[in-house]
Amino acid sequence: MGKMTGTSNIGQIDELQRALTETIERARVEQDDREKKKLILNIEKYNSRIDKLRSGRMISRQTRRDLIAYSFIAPNFIGFCVFTLIPIIFAFALAFMKWDGSNPVSFEGIDNFKRLWGDTFFKAAFKNTIIYCIGTVPLTMIASLALAIILNQKVFGRGIFRTLAFFPYVASLVAITSVWKLLFHPSKGPVNNILYTFFHVPQENLPQWFSGGLCVLSMILFSVWKYMGYYMVIYLAGLQGIPGELYEAAALDGAGTWNQFRYITWPQLSSTTFFVVVMLTINCFKIYDVAVMLAGGGSGELTVSATVLVYYIYQKAFIDWDLGYSSAVAMVLFVMVLLVTIIQFRGQAKKEA
Amino acid sequence: MKKKVISLMMSAAMVATVLAGCGAQAAAPAPAAEVKEEAPAAEEAPAAEEAPAAEEAPAAEEATEDAGEPVTLKWAIWDESTTQYWGDIKAAYEAKNPNVTIEMVDLGSQDYMTVLATELSGSGSDFDVVTIKDVPGYATLVQKNAIIPLDDYISKDGIDLKKYAGATDQVVVDGKLYELPFRNDFWVLFYNKDVFDAAGVDYPTNDMTWDEYDALARKVTDTSFGSQVYGAHYHTWRSTVQLCAVLDGKHTILDGNYDFMKPYYEMVLNEEKDGVCRKYTDLKTEGLHYSAAFSGGDVAMLNMGSWFIATMMTNLASGEYDSSLCGNWGIVKYPHAEGVEPGSTLGTITGLSVTTACDTPDAAWDFVKWVSGEEGAAVMASSGNFPAIMTDEVKTAITNLEGFPTDDASKEALNVSNLYLEVPYGENVSEINSILDSYHGSIMTGEMSIDDGIAAMNKEISALK
Amino acid sequence: MRSAHRKAVLGKILVYILLLVIAIIMITPFLWMFSAAIKSDREVFKMNPFVFIPKVPKWSNYLDIWTRIPFAKFVENTVFLTVVVTILQLLTSSFAAYSFAKLRFRYRNGLFLAYIATIAMPWQVYMVPQFILMRRMGLNDKLLAIICLQAFSAFGVFLMKQFYESIPDDLCEAARIDGLSEYQIYRKIMLPLSKPALATLIIFTFVNTWNDYLGPLIYLKSQEKKTIQLGLKMFISQYSSDYGLIMAGSMLSLIPVLIVFLCFQNYFVEGVANTGLKG
Repeated sequence: MGKMTGTSNIGQIDELQRALTETIERARVEQDDREKKKLILNIEKYNSRIDKLRSGRMISRQTRRDLIAYSFIAPNFIGFCVFTLIPIIFAFALAFMKWDGSNPVSFEGIDNFKRLWGDTFFKAAFKNTIIYCIGTVPLTMIASLALAIILNQKVFGRGIFRTLAFFPYVASLVAITSVWKLLFHPSKGPVNNILYTFFHVPQENLPQWFSGGLCVLSMILFSVWKYMGYYMVIYLAGLQGIPGELYEAAALDGAGTWNQFRYITWPQLSSTTFFVVVMLTINCFKIYDVAVMLAGGGSGELTVSATVLVYYIYQKAFIDWDLGYSSAVAMVLFVMVLLVTIIQFRGQAKKEA
Repeated sequence: MKKKVISLMMSAAMVATVLAGCGAQAAAPAPAAEVKEEAPAAEEAPAAEEAPAAEEAPAAEEATEDAGEPVTLKWAIWDESTTQYWGDIKAAYEAKNPNVTIEMVDLGSQDYMTVLATELSGSGSDFDVVTIKDVPGYATLVQKNAIIPLDDYISKDGIDLKKYAGATDQVVVDGKLYELPFRNDFWVLFYNKDVFDAAGVDYPTNDMTWDEYDALARKVTDTSFGSQVYGAHYHTWRSTVQLCAVLDGKHTILDGNYDFMKPYYEMVLNEEKDGVCRKYTDLKTEGLHYSAAFSGGDVAMLNMGSWFIATMMTNLASGEYDSSLCGNWGIVKYPHAEGVEPGSTLGTITGLSVTTACDTPDAAWDFVKWVSGEEGAAVMASSGNFPAIMTDEVKTAITNLEGFPTDDASKEALNVSNLYLEVPYGENVSEINSILDSYHGSIMTGEMSIDDGIAAMNKEISALK
Repeated sequence: MRSAHRKAVLGKILVYILLLVIAIIMITPFLWMFSAAIKSDREVFKMNPFVFIPKVPKWSNYLDIWTRIPFAKFVENTVFLTVVVTILQLLTSSFAAYSFAKLRFRYRNGLFLAYIATIAMPWQVYMVPQFILMRRMGLNDKLLAIICLQAFSAFGVFLMKQFYESIPDDLCEAARIDGLSEYQIYRKIMLPLSKPALATLIIFTFVNTWNDYLGPLIYLKSQEKKTIQLGLKMFISQYSSDYGLIMAGSMLSLIPVLIVFLCFQNYFVEGVANTGLKG
């Protein structure tokens, strides 16, 4: 049967073959890149059709290749699709609905977003999140870069120091925040004790680290401490990618440490810095556990001065069961992240151009 | 390539729509369940109506009930290991009803109501009976149609709600009652006699105004470093401060205007400033539990709910608390506002509800009825807990327990004249609760002045309506 | 020349002082944790005089924690979750990444874009719909929910793909000519070569899953399904004044992650360097 079709298609194959040769000729002389790409795609198409006709198989080689490739992707992609992609699309829809998780859904239009304007708690959460990001991103970046530069030199016990710097990152948040709360305890902690004993700060002026305006500052300090080791590793990897000859040449030219940093290290690291800043920003917008564990106290409630966007999303969704509104707040978070990422991409593109 | 992305998004969106569709369908039976309340004269009606939501054959359960065939009730509770009465109730009820098995599921006391609301959202829950810990959580469950009204059962079985001394009236939603209380705690003032003896100060009495209480707290306080004694202790809950204010009987927590709380915030914040009580910010940082504070022996007076009586008795008996520090304790009635008769206090009810998803509601109701009735009350009282039905026998049973303070004032303290629920049911009670919580924190940490904080409460809560 | 030498020595000294300061900042909270874990409640806040190890160390804290809360159960759950998630994550993402990096197929760019787009999407944005979906699938309060949540992250695919792209295509071509199927190429050539990247992914996944708090908080409700992080948090709010116990529990929770990190750290920097994570 297969053979039969094969012989009866000979004429067709010849025709295709001619078209193919013609296309190849055209592709050879074509100057425009775009056109060329199109032609090459056509060539592939002809090839696969000829292939199909010749072999008489139902599945062409290309399809077979596709199937193999999909079989590699499938295990991850199915899970990814069901548990990530679909919920994301669902989240977009939910932002325009009113739903309490049990009763029927009703369409609200943009009412959820209108409500945001007059919502004191939302505004406070938004403000705190922004302040936290503005504080944390540059500080962490500078600290991790400095750490990476120091630990990239040949110093004694380098491995140990690197491991130490990475410790805070691997430590669990619940465990490590409870120590921080001991250390910064407003009346009994060693930090305030030192301030009191050695710097003679009067008792009533001792900083209340986990309430009021200092709350966000504590969160920033803690995050810098916890995450700088992680970004240090990324910077270390970046530093190792800088060719050593550059420094040798610079040293011969008599460039000092600062100039070496300014004219070699920093520009060479620009793509690493870009990556670090993007990741940091995304992670900072997601802040939740740090705030709840440092400022939440036993019940985990956050006051206006400590509340953050994700906490508000959680509260609206799982305590007040206002799922639509909660999704609307989530959309604001998403747009913020998107904006920051786009701005940074633009900046990066300009730098490289 | 753009086209491909779009087609991918489209297909994903379609899947999502289908899923959302499922959601709407599954949610649909719930309102139907509410409608049925109007009609059912026959007791079978609820069971039959429940069936579509529960997706199980209804006929089978009807038979079980009558024939005494085995029924299993899944019951949501918290802190099984540290609370004695759950097990006592289960054992007593099962002994009386051999065909029923009570399966307790411990959801933990922290975030209990949040967890429960999550469990009961939509369809697919398998809880039959749930314990209701607070009114905001109760309101959420009612709004979600997760629990059923009990009025028909109540009138059918002729239960007299008067025995709950008005507590049930405060949780009626649109004329329907969705829970029956089995525990009713009221707030008293705990004090440590040793601390008063050491300071040479007279014990607090059953008839104190807030001013007298404040003066007493200051008198017994010792601020000298190393041997600090705190005259009072306020746990971080807003109830410990805000709810002193509603005891005059003129205001409630759902008022919408909270100016009447100001004197109480002033009292507590001044005490804090003068070292009479521990600082709120310290407590918040440490997450210090009130039981740890009181059992440490350096706190003279603690305003707390009567549940702490059982905790004190058990933990002193087991040696968990050091009896040389806090073994000599007593209770008196809550202080009262000027011109109000003593004995007015706050109440916290713990109730039981039958879920909408329950496929044996008659059996579940029987359990709820039993636990919140006289027999359940006896079981509760045997471990020093306060049942919702407070009779003289129950009081005597509790005061006669080993470990209960022996002085007469402590016994007298159990006589309550007026009981106000911490939070009665009202519209938006869950949101109001969150707002009051948040600004309580702001005022107590000093982020906001008392006036600003109260103004913010007024503003936010009036915006809800 | 001499002054230059002097300058170098000074520089070195400065570097070491800096290192020392950083090391102290990094390690102090851990030392404090260790010290508080063997103290009684009263000793924890005792400042003058401060003692690092009390005269009578309360080692019993490390034993008590197992009986005060079902810590063993929490450990069991967490170990189970972390191991399963890590294995699944490694397998599925290296599998998918091979395809993205070395095979040419239809919709490749579109599919990969879907992955990249979600990396920039904070989980919290879709955690509510995700929760609703999972509950519909009957996964609420099941350990499986956390597995589904963590095992298919876009980050793993991205990381592995970057690494595979750094391996020359010629290797695969040669293998194909030798008649190896794609699956064999993946298993016999790619997998052995990707040890550093796999080690990096193991550390990231292990640390994330072990320390995750919000995920288990939302999905795992009943006592016997909780993880160490939830257990610790619960313990902190229940036994607020037992600092010694809290610190002992915290110390114990650190050990497994530290072991995993120390085992794989040799590959770690290399892994990050080669995966192009640096940008």
